[in-house]
Amino acid sequence: MKYTVLFIVGILIATAVIAGCTQQQAAPGAGEIKVGVIASLTGPASNVGKNMWQSAQVAAEEINAKGGVSIKGTKVPLKLVVGDDESTQQGGQKAATQLITGDKVDILVGGYSSAVTSAYEQTIAEFKIPFVVTGASSPIITHRTDIDTSYVFHHCPTTDTYGQYTTMFIDQVLRPAVNKKLGAAADRPFRLALIYQDTAFGKGVQTAVNNTITKDKLNIVLVSQQSFKMGESDFRTPLTAIKATNPDAVYIAAFPNEGAPMITQARRDLGLDTIFLNVENNDNAQFYKDLGQYGEGAIIESRFSPYTAPAGALADAQSTFKNSYNAKWGTFPDMMGASTYEGVYIATQAISNAGTTDKTTVKQALADLSMPQIIEAMKGGMISFTKDFRESQFDLWMEQLAYDQSIGECRPKIVWPDNLKVTDFALPSWYKAGTA
Amino acid sequence: MDLGILLQILFWGIYAGCIYILLATGLNLIFGVMKIVNFAHGEFLMIGAYITATVFLLTGLNPYAIILISMLALIGIGAVVERLCFRPILGTGKLNEIFLSIGLIYIIQNGVAVIWGDEWQSVQSPYEGITVPVGALNVPLDYIVIMVVTTAILCGLYLFLKRTKTGREMRATSQNRKGAMLVGINVERMDVLSFGIGCALAAAAGTLWVVSGQIFNPYMGSIPAVKAFAIIILGGLGSIPGAIAGGLLYGIAENSAAYFLGGVWKDAVSFILLIVVLVIRPTGLFGESGE
Repeated sequence: MKYTVLFIVGILIATAVIAGCTQQQAAPGAGEIKVGVIASLTGPASNVGKNMWQSAQVAAEEINAKGGVSIKGTKVPLKLVVGDDESTQQGGQKAATQLITGDKVDILVGGYSSAVTSAYEQTIAEFKIPFVVTGASSPIITHRTDIDTSYVFHHCPTTDTYGQYTTMFIDQVLRPAVNKKLGAAADRPFRLALIYQDTAFGKGVQTAVNNTITKDKLNIVLVSQQSFKMGESDFRTPLTAIKATNPDAVYIAAFPNEGAPMITQARRDLGLDTIFLNVENNDNAQFYKDLGQYGEGAIIESRFSPYTAPAGALADAQSTFKNSYNAKWGTFPDMMGASTYEGVYIATQAISNAGTTDKTTVKQALADLSMPQIIEAMKGGMISFTKDFRESQFDLWMEQLAYDQSIGECRPKIVWPDNLKVTDFALPSWYKAGTA
Repeated sequence: MDLGILLQILFWGIYAGCIYILLATGLNLIFGVMKIVNFAHGEFLMIGAYITATVFLLTGLNPYAIILISMLALIGIGAVVERLCFRPILGTGKLNEIFLSIGLIYIIQNGVAVIWGDEWQSVQSPYEGITVPVGALNVPLDYIVIMVVTTAILCGLYLFLKRTKTGREMRATSQNRKGAMLVGINVERMDVLSFGIGCALAAAAGTLWVVSGQIFNPYMGSIPAVKAFAIIILGGLGSIPGAIAGGLLYGIAENSAAYFLGGVWKDAVSFILLIVVLVIRPTGLFGESGE
């Protein structure tokens, strides 16, 4: 019995030690600005979550290398504290509570899954702490009215924005290209299938696509709308249902760990040789690696890519960030990493502008913020939040993937809009258009 | 309704069922002999997946051949886990088993994350892109091989349990542990053997998971483990035929629900099926009262 008890105690200690290895603990301290970063370090979204946390650390190092955060002429060191939401709603609530009440952070940055982030917004509202959301893209994050979201600022495009943007691309670029290939009349309806994660994020994309088609009277027919649970890895059956409807293209609203196997299973197992359109969160190095040759021809809506950048003023800034990240972590940052990197700058700039860490004053400083864009292209070249729903406004683009046999992965090229594109969109030779 | 599509859904259901059958059969073998509840069983599937991927990347061996290496490795790992973790608490209450297995989940997940990292990974089968006609369907060769391999493993297990002295001793221990002890069977040896073989079956499921192109990371084992528990309850606790029938039913029900009702019903319908079966037959499809 004695050995049994000793053994169990040993297991508990080992678990605590191993778990502790993955999380940076912060001791309360004076004379420092504490920024809490909520990211999915474990669970289905851990790939993106780690990228967010690592990007935040790159930003913090840069800020501290310049002496820290400037408050009323004095430089104060910046300290980051991470909270792992474990890719679950319960984990998110636990992480937010720990960061606010345990670590006593001054401001929060991060949040990836909309379902997870919206679950701990109640805690944010209760403690009235400023929160710069850099990953969760459902508009409900700042549009919901059941709780006070006035301390939440949205620094990433919403599903409304990029769902509409992608649908416009389909109408203006993809539909004419398919008609041309088929020799069909210009009024041939485009057959679009949609497969979405059954969460606020996925449903947000579904709503945006449906609304855009209806509102703008687009000649697009949604021939299939399939849903799946977050974290799913076997998509063969919903893809079989989609294939049966003969679509011209498939729009996927999924995380990278879902999107890559989905496209692979569609093309490899089902012979569904069509164009797959992906949401921006898939612009991630792991996504390219997992896709292999099956990504050929696919489209990603994007605003920051590990492997390409639009020509212009931001190219150097993006390159510097990618190099710093690569030097520190040995891989490339993704889009959620980029917005979290910016989120740390936004948070510290707001505190600097406020001249204090008082939560209400910092919230007002965020509302009044107007700072030059950092690495992502913003509307008007400035980062600021809208007065109604506190959302920053991004310039987006569409990339098409081409397979590079020498590296065994696809690489993206910007194909839309005209002012940013480096090449034209092209239907792959193997592409099969849908039939009614 | 197009018959071809229904057959395709049935095919994907059988494929999913193969993974579930191997996982659930191993779990049932362990429960049958030791009567322990091991929630960490899915982690052995995950370790099997990592071993397969690692050996494949290092040696370039055919991943279907690596299934033997993966199973042998998990027999060893399973024997160690049984000896160090479960044997000391055997008979001390279900609560101890549950907490021990939950602790094992964390330890194994974090251990694997430390060794292999926690990025999602995938492996490409050497047969990908090859399709074969099966009746009205044109299906990828990999899934046919997966079904054949699963059948071969189950036949091997059947022969082992029915035709060998050790297999008969294992069945005797499963049926009546005290009786087995009285006739001179070393039940502790049966425990370690059944645990090892159960883990090896989970490893085989992990290998087939990998070669079918599914992605994996250190946290992927928990959901299959929950499903495996539902399957052995559906099929009957301790019943190997029950695990096979339950696994197949579960795989087909899941995929049918995803097609007819939508992906969000995939898990729910399987558990509805479980509840219906338990209401009609509380011991499960092949279970006996007293388990």
